[in-house]
Amino acid sequence: MPILSRSEAEDLLYREARLLDDRRFQEWLAMLDENATYWIPCNGEGNDPNREISLVFDDRQRLTDRIGRLESGLAHAQNPPSKTKRLVSNVQIENSTENAATVLSGFILYELRRGKERIFAGRYEHCLHLISGTWKIASKKIVLTNNDEVIDNLTFIV
Amino acid sequence: MPSNLNLEELVQETRVHRKIYLEQQIFDSEMERIFESNWVFVGHQTEISAPGDYKTLTIGTQPAFMTRDENGDIHVLMNRCMHRGSTVCQQERGNSPTFRCWYHGWTYNSKGELIGVPYADGYGNSFDRRKFSLIKAARVEEYRGLVFASLNPDVDGLADYLGNAKRYIDLFVELSPEGELEARAGTHKYGYDGNWKFQMENGVDGYHPNFVHRAFFDLQGKDLGRKVSQLFTENSACESKDLGNGHSILDMARTLRPGNKPVPTLLRGKASQESSDAYLGSMIRRYGEQRAGEIFAASNVNLAIFPNLLIIGIQLRKTIPVSATRTDVHLLPTTLKGVPDEINVARLRAHEAFYGSAGGGAPDDVEMFNRCSDGLRVKGAEWLELSRGIEREHSEGNGVIVGHITDETPQRAFYRRWRSLMCDTAKPQTVTQLRVVPTH
Repeated sequence: MPILSRSEAEDLLYREARLLDDRRFQEWLAMLDENATYWIPCNGEGNDPNREISLVFDDRQRLTDRIGRLESGLAHAQNPPSKTKRLVSNVQIENSTENAATVLSGFILYELRRGKERIFAGRYEHCLHLISGTWKIASKKIVLTNNDEVIDNLTFIV
Repeated sequence: MPSNLNLEELVQETRVHRKIYLEQQIFDSEMERIFESNWVFVGHQTEISAPGDYKTLTIGTQPAFMTRDENGDIHVLMNRCMHRGSTVCQQERGNSPTFRCWYHGWTYNSKGELIGVPYADGYGNSFDRRKFSLIKAARVEEYRGLVFASLNPDVDGLADYLGNAKRYIDLFVELSPEGELEARAGTHKYGYDGNWKFQMENGVDGYHPNFVHRAFFDLQGKDLGRKVSQLFTENSACESKDLGNGHSILDMARTLRPGNKPVPTLLRGKASQESSDAYLGSMIRRYGEQRAGEIFAASNVNLAIFPNLLIIGIQLRKTIPVSATRTDVHLLPTTLKGVPDEINVARLRAHEAFYGSAGGGAPDDVEMFNRCSDGLRVKGAEWLELSRGIEREHSEGNGVIVGHITDETPQRAFYRRWRSLMCDTAKPQTVTQLRVVPTH
């Protein structure tokens, strides 16, 4: 089994970025494995999420609920929805075995909603597992540079 | 034609004028007459539990910080060097026995006393350090761990000020079998380009949840196999209450039938049977079955303490006015002392599901604040209607007025207090006093 290459990692991250910018949530969920977690700490790197709150600390079920809310048409904070364009760069593979890898990357995310433009930036940490020949996302952690500042609305998928 | 009204006419019994959300002059007056003249909530005592701990905050729009000195006393100090005006505390939180202004090296202790002046010879014999202590809040008091400060020395004691709201704070705190909360689980921060009063009105609004939070309730209902939004329908048995002094509550406590065991029905998320049983057992041992039942029945709380505190769910929520059209909000979730870890983890997870900038509930409220900020630019519609329930509310005695949970009794309570402070013909209370701290 091949070890994940940087260009494969980039392909995965770019595909994810496009799906999320296009709000193709079901296809994005299909990139995740069945026990995937999605974590956005609200205090620097994030300490112990069982002792401190996070902006997002979703297991697969909560993530499914989150997507359900976004697709319900009743999530007022996303009505109208945010228009996003994220650029992913600085891709580095931290640990790699024949069926698992940790990928670090940097991102800049432009968001436009109700006439206001905001820029977010930070670091993605994806843990990937190779399942039946396809690399799946086992966990996604986002360290937003401004995570301990006032954030007016973070209801889109980062 | 827009009316030319004076302040007293802008806030009436069942309607308020759009100007109070838009005009910077009114905002500035609110800072003087409300935030700088009365008790304001500044934080929880566990944010600064060890001597030397400090945490920044604002009073009105003024930068300040609270400290715990070596004797264990809490001080609220204005963040301004008495020399030439730089802030002296740069980090949001930390631990330090001293605060040094790095402009010219002047150094203060946790009490705000000036203890160090470099090259002191330049000041001569008449220089008295005691005259250059940091400005401090004239009064700092605590109730069940909640810390309040007043820049005005001539206010009632905190217990009197809290009045009828105290018993609800007690119920909130007594969810812990040790009667103590901790606020060390981080802070959620959000904000909006709108007036601070939108947040204070919304936190005790029982009319909006079935509309704003419909998506959340639908999901929750699917999980629990029943509709959960019944609390906020027109048939709800729940009440809203004006508690006096501008405080109010959405009272969702249920009356327990005798013989029923108290159950933590709103345990705030999932925990194992073992943890739930241990928690229940410790609550009954500490408080007895009846009181434990009352505490659990009241565990779904929306309590407003005028002017800037909302106690909602597990959190202490500080509304922070920035300008007439900008507000920040800090949420301090609390954990319970003396319960299995799993119970506190469940509390945090349930809080995250609804609250915070990425929550499934609160951002939709904020969206409404933003939409109101836009809508209120229409000049021809001058008034916001706050008459809901005025004909059916009734007095409960001791200054409490009771309405239906969907009624605007809480908002009328807020504006009654607002009006009495803003329209007082007397001069506003002294903003701050220079405190001279005697040396020994």
